[in-house]
Amino acid sequence: MTAAQRGTGQGTDAYKRFSELLPKEERENACSARVPKSQILTLPELRANPFQQRICHVFSTSETEDDSMSFEDFLDMLSVFSDSATSDIKSYYAFRIFDFDNDGILDRKDLEQLVNCLTGQGEGSRLSSTEMDQLIQNILEESDIDKDGSINLAEFQHVVSRSPDFASSFKIVL
Amino acid sequence: MSYHYNETFENPDYHFSETLEIDRRGSSQRNPFSYQTPHDSSQSDYYGERRGREQNYPVAIPMASLGPGSDCSQDLPSTSPYGNFTGNLSFEPEPELTYTPHSTSHMLDYPYTHGISSGSEDSFIRRRNRRPPDDIFMTSSSMLETDPMCREEEDLIGSLASMSTNERIKAIQKMPETMRKKREIRNKVLKEITKKSRHRGAQCTQGTWGVSFGRFGNTLSEYFHQLRPWHKTLKIIGAEFGTSVLSYFVFLKWLLNLNIFSFLINFGFITIPQFLAAEPNNLSFTGLELLTGAGYFQQTVLYYGFYTNATISKVENGPSYNMQLAYIFTVGIYFVICFLILLFSMARFFSRNFVKLTKAFSVNASKLLCTWDFNITNEKAVKLQQKNLLTQIKEGLTEVNKEVLNFSVKERVGRIATHLLAWVVSLATAVASCAGVYFLSINNLELFMKGYSNDLQRQTAMLVLPVIVSLLNTLIPFFFSWLGYLEKFQTPGQHIYVTIIRNIILKISIVGILCYYWLNIVATSESQCWETLVGQDIYRLALVDFIFCLLGSFFGEFLRRIIGTTVCMNLGLPEFDIGRNVLDLIYAQTLTWIGILFSPLLPGIQMIAFLIVLFVKKVSLMRNCQPPRKVWRTAQMTTSFIFLLFCPSFLGVLSVIGVTVWRLKPSEECGPFRGLPSMYAAVDQWIQILESYTVSKWVVWIYHNLISSELFFFIISTVVLIVTYLYLEIIQARKTMTKLLQNQIINAGKDKKFLLQKLRREQRAKRSSSALGGRGQQRSSSSYHPSMQPAQEVPGYSERAFDRSQNTSYHEHPFSVEISSSSDFPPGGEPSPSRAVALALRARAAALGEDSDGSGGFQP
Repeated sequence: MTAAQRGTGQGTDAYKRFSELLPKEERENACSARVPKSQILTLPELRANPFQQRICHVFSTSETEDDSMSFEDFLDMLSVFSDSATSDIKSYYAFRIFDFDNDGILDRKDLEQLVNCLTGQGEGSRLSSTEMDQLIQNILEESDIDKDGSINLAEFQHVVSRSPDFASSFKIVL
Repeated sequence: MSYHYNETFENPDYHFSETLEIDRRGSSQRNPFSYQTPHDSSQSDYYGERRGREQNYPVAIPMASLGPGSDCSQDLPSTSPYGNFTGNLSFEPEPELTYTPHSTSHMLDYPYTHGISSGSEDSFIRRRNRRPPDDIFMTSSSMLETDPMCREEEDLIGSLASMSTNERIKAIQKMPETMRKKREIRNKVLKEITKKSRHRGAQCTQGTWGVSFGRFGNTLSEYFHQLRPWHKTLKIIGAEFGTSVLSYFVFLKWLLNLNIFSFLINFGFITIPQFLAAEPNNLSFTGLELLTGAGYFQQTVLYYGFYTNATISKVENGPSYNMQLAYIFTVGIYFVICFLILLFSMARFFSRNFVKLTKAFSVNASKLLCTWDFNITNEKAVKLQQKNLLTQIKEGLTEVNKEVLNFSVKERVGRIATHLLAWVVSLATAVASCAGVYFLSINNLELFMKGYSNDLQRQTAMLVLPVIVSLLNTLIPFFFSWLGYLEKFQTPGQHIYVTIIRNIILKISIVGILCYYWLNIVATSESQCWETLVGQDIYRLALVDFIFCLLGSFFGEFLRRIIGTTVCMNLGLPEFDIGRNVLDLIYAQTLTWIGILFSPLLPGIQMIAFLIVLFVKKVSLMRNCQPPRKVWRTAQMTTSFIFLLFCPSFLGVLSVIGVTVWRLKPSEECGPFRGLPSMYAAVDQWIQILESYTVSKWVVWIYHNLISSELFFFIISTVVLIVTYLYLEIIQARKTMTKLLQNQIINAGKDKKFLLQKLRREQRAKRSSSALGGRGQQRSSSSYHPSMQPAQEVPGYSERAFDRSQNTSYHEHPFSVEISSSSDFPPGGEPSPSRAVALALRARAAALGEDSDGSGGFQP
């Protein structure tokens, strides 16, 4: 329904931006068309984002697993990243985005990939493996409440709930 | 506490354990949570469906999903169990107290009472989990149509249908679902509703009204959305510099809006009526007045002195407009509105940012898990942020590894002496500059009263004071930050805060000494119209401050960049100094507030100034600056800025205005209050007039009994004090409760560990005996528990499986841990339910004993 539209408060804007991603002949029926991943990633809002692949993946409902997005997926994404989404929803999707192997928990591998995304993948900018181990150990010590070696959604949301900046930084403005 | 403990303890039907089937049948009715959230029953659809189908469950498995988002942790892992469990190496028995104390806070956010009262709304949001379509185990999607799923959906729809329209929309919006799913749910709910209320036509029309009204609101908000002029600017700034710099601009925008609002109010209620009664202005305009605000402007609506004290009426015997009352009420109501706005935004920020941060918050985890600023979309900025993060992480790691510095006594004394000295120096600087400003202004006034031979000379003399004040305001902060570097603070945060406090002291004391000068010296001088003089002074101060702000961004940022990029390469690009810039804004706003009474159009001037500052700062920022290297705690900084705007600035202004209105004698020959003993006397007079009308007796009564009566204020303040005290007590009680719950979590953890140890021992014994006894026994046990067969063939798997399910139930309900550990008993084991229960009981007794030792003080 218009829930997501209301969430972003900019339905027409979103529609315009979405149909720009489509080739000319498909623009009439933008609501039913799917935009391939490569096109989505050309959005200036996503182009430089280190999590662009994950965002695409999480919000895509494509059945062929090509991470293409329909207009509704696009609106879903915008509504999650909008101002009016609740912190719960934001943290839920943030968790999904950071969960690189889609297994429902952030384990050491996920965290390692997350840190790599955060610090960039360049040669000079990598952490050494001992540093990485230490860092992940620190993260787990702080946020892994039940000490099972991984962070689950509840623990993640607990950490996020204590960071008031999260809601303002987990935001994409169209 | 113990009540729930026992209750849940005896309710093994939280779990999917096959071993306790008999118990489950018997006791499911007793489960308190199965009533509160009946539709939770099958939230873990995979478990429910996998095991439930094979065993043909008579009862749906009730689960109270009270923890935040418990379903992901239990749904997703179960969908790909093999891939999932490989990485999980833990659950070796660990030493005591693995549960760190901060682990409880999510129980605070979601206390179990919450689940009972509003659980229905909360729980289904989390429960319905959108699964990525590519999950390996989604091959079983056809099986989702089985009973539990259907029932879950029915329950969900039922609970949605029973809500009001608004609630329902909100609840659906809150679900982490795709839009298609949401639409499906909504349609089903609507169908359900129409089915139910087919005979009640009225409700339907109401609904459509609501819908069309909502649509109308949508279109409106969309149009407004397109009209927002700052949208693009803010987006670009956020994209390149991140949220911290953005917060400065948001603050600036907020102040701009505040000034637009106050300009409109003043213009509408004070200035426009005055235009109707305006006298001709016969002073000459040379252009220099723009800078000094004197001369021509003296006879314009810009200043207090020009306003009439007459009652304006255009039509004979028609409605009239009392300028005195308009003046005092407009200003009064404006300040009340400002007060409320500031109070509420401050309270909101406080509750959002400080209450949650009561515990010392170590930076690392939060930094990494929620640090990424999705606003930033510029490629360079992304690279830069990544680099900054990397250095921060590295610094953080070395800091953690470093031993805490232990200073010797001598060093410590030296440190304290340095800090003290720095404080003395900075306070002395502030006092000295105050004294300078005071004597300069008195000198200035004397000169001014004597009169100048030359008009130009006179106008330049006027500008000396504001220029000196602005110079002090601009240069001394640099001295303070240099002082801060000398002091060598241990953390950069300390440095920032101390510098800000010193700057605030300086600025506020300068404004304070100026107010003292205006209210005590100027107001008692023999000038014709002292209010206008004060208004002019403030106008000049505001204008010169604005010019200095522009110069500051020219010299401080533009020239600094030229120097940094050409002369001294190692300086690099300048950073945008958020703290200093925000303090400038607060200072400017303080001047505006003070000036409102003396120069009603000052907000309009400040509005234009802020608009120009916004664009100049934006251009300067984009051209000259680089994003700040430190991660600012944005939310916290914003809170403290609003607080500073409120506490010294706004409250100080209120007291100045109060003194002016109640205590000072207005000028005899100008302004709306001429001839009155004080400005407030206008209200008194009005009340006296009202007393003669019977219609308005109530206004008089309110005035005498409420507004001007001490008793009323005494009662009000007593009530406020009592309420405050009650709230303080409630907070204390909550804190105690938190501690109790924390202890409980720790105990639960101990239970779990103890049981697992037992379990492992049992299993080991079992395995060795089964190795002796051959495979027959195992087959029998596996036929007994068909679904758990892999657990026995892959050593260690079972433990992790229990671990997993325990985790989930632990998050669903803090008190259910014990049961999970008792009911998730070894599948291949003889250990009967009763034995498990006995074990758990023993563990609990042990834990309780420790608890009373450790925290006896908190026991009720």
